Amino acid sequence: MISIFNFFRKKKSASIAKDRLTIAIMSDRKDSTNYPFMDQMKEEIIEVVKKYIGVRGIEIKKEFDGDFEALSIDVMLDK
Amino acid sequence: MGIVIAVISGKGGVGKTTATANLGLGIGLNNKKCVVVDFDIGQRNLDMILGLENRVVYDMVQVMDGEANLKQALIKSKASENLFFLAASQSKDKSVLESSKVEKLVVELKEDFDFIILDSPAGIESGFEHTIEFADAAIVVVNPEVSSIRDADRAIGILDSKSHKVKQGEEVAKYLIINRIVADMVESGEMLKSEDILDILDIKLLGKIPEDKGVIDASNQGKPVILDKKSIAGQAYMRIAGRLCGKQIDMKDIEMCDSGIFKKIVGMFR
Repeated sequence: MISIFNFFRKKKSASIAKDRLTIAIMSDRKDSTNYPFMDQMKEEIIEVVKKYIGVRGIEIKKEFDGDFEALSIDVMLDK
Repeated sequence: MGIVIAVISGKGGVGKTTATANLGLGIGLNNKKCVVVDFDIGQRNLDMILGLENRVVYDMVQVMDGEANLKQALIKSKASENLFFLAASQSKDKSVLESSKVEKLVVELKEDFDFIILDSPAGIESGFEHTIEFADAAIVVVNPEVSSIRDADRAIGILDSKSHKVKQGEEVAKYLIINRIVADMVESGEMLKSEDILDILDIKLLGKIPEDKGVIDASNQGKPVILDKKSIAGQAYMRIAGRLCGKQIDMKDIEMCDSGIFKKIVGMFR
């Protein structure tokens, strides 16, 4: 009986697609560090740090923690 | 001064080049001067869709490098004297593009044409970024299918962060074309509805193209489907081209089968 019941209540695949896409895209957007100014900011940070110490590279990540949004900046120093 | 429109999709194979060819021709048929440029360096295809593959002498990389001038490289379409085509380089790879050279080419084209349509390569790498860099607007092409829509969102994200206009603090206009819609699948709930896709991508609709076997038949012959007056996809492209040229053309509801009302009545008695 349950299987027949499920058959009639089966969710249409388009609405499954919508739900899955909404979640996937939300998480894609969170991961992206695509602020328009990101590249320029990177270069400027490198310039500033370089005044004091050798820099090999820099990585900026956007992070989410509950309601907080943060930029974590990793500076890799020259040996 | 012309408007530069990049045609983008993220995912490959959704009909970007077909859309570029048909809209370019549609704009030409609306008596506006249009040039379509193939930015898919190394994988030239727009020439085939337009039926101009035998006419290519110089490509856009040669123009950028000063080995040929624009007049020599521009190829006039057989179907409209208002449409011109600039081929991608087939021998080189995407790394040959440089921002300053792309900008110079685009600026030069803007002088002579009302519409400059750039056919972007698939993916979101450097070739794509160069296509969107100096665009005033973008047309995003998707299929009503999860991978296409997700990839389109990534491409839109890059457009919103890397285009020259955005960096200047302006906005790049974005419009969506949903390609290959199968009406009875939408009706039965097996294919995403256009409202849902617009919701997810947060973008304005430019037009909907129904699935149509005539599209392959047209590309086989190198005659864009817009020339086939009986083709439903061709008619849809004509409506979109009209909208781009400033005509008020209502959205046609191609997501409803002709038999839709009949089916619903039958359904009531089941």
